[in-house]
Amino acid sequence: MKVTLISIPVLDQEKALKFYTEKLGFIKKKDMPLEGGNRWITLVSKDAQDGPEILLEPAPLHFEPSKVFQDALMSAGIPWTQFDVDSVDTEYERLTKLGVEFSVKPSVMGTFKFAVFNDTVGNNMQIVEMI
Amino acid sequence: MTFYEEKIKEIKDSYFSNDKQIETVIGIKRHIDNHYETAINLDTLSQTEFVSKFHLLRLFKKYYGQTPRQYLIDKRIEKSKIFLTNGMSVTETCFAVGFESVGSFSTLFKTRIGKSPSIYQKEQFSRS
Repeated sequence: MKVTLISIPVLDQEKALKFYTEKLGFIKKKDMPLEGGNRWITLVSKDAQDGPEILLEPAPLHFEPSKVFQDALMSAGIPWTQFDVDSVDTEYERLTKLGVEFSVKPSVMGTFKFAVFNDTVGNNMQIVEMI
Repeated sequence: MTFYEEKIKEIKDSYFSNDKQIETVIGIKRHIDNHYETAINLDTLSQTEFVSKFHLLRLFKKYYGQTPRQYLIDKRIEKSKIFLTNGMSVTETCFAVGFESVGSFSTLFKTRIGKSPSIYQKEQFSRS
């Protein structure tokens, strides 16, 4: 078994695709049409194109419990998942300039530095750096 | 403050409150980051931060979740991917990141990345 896919629930696939590629810098790998106007969209990290893919999944639009869970995480400020970066400070500066909103500014916790931002499609996301 | 921030603060206060220990392990990690290509072992690491090697091993595992040795190997593999992508030969890459035998480097690389260094390199070239 291999880990190849990380699913992220999104409220709007097209909006998510734009945000994750244009702002965060991921690269689109697959984009297949599915029933009902849904798509199978996966992205890879620019620096690790062989690595796991992110699936932008429209689950909250079609499965109520998914929406409930996503909303609960959002209001509690809990990130859906996290991405590794070389420098949290640099990414924070870069993303802030692009209009990305952070709920947690770069903070240190022991041997890690992290920050949390809003992905505009229903999730908090964390960036993390090992220090 | 959100629920998440409250929880993070609790963890920080209970688990990451020993600044001296954290400073020590961060120093060890930085040493590995800057000298990964040299012959690093618990003895050399314990000399850099003046702590016993068993204490060091325990601390590193406590704060990074892996041993210094595991971290060093990850670092070397990560760097070797960059060198291979930039066109360095497999043999040169092996020694440039601190491994002593091309055979064991290739085997380790294959275990970690799923393909041998030479195949990895060919794929990177064909992509660009």
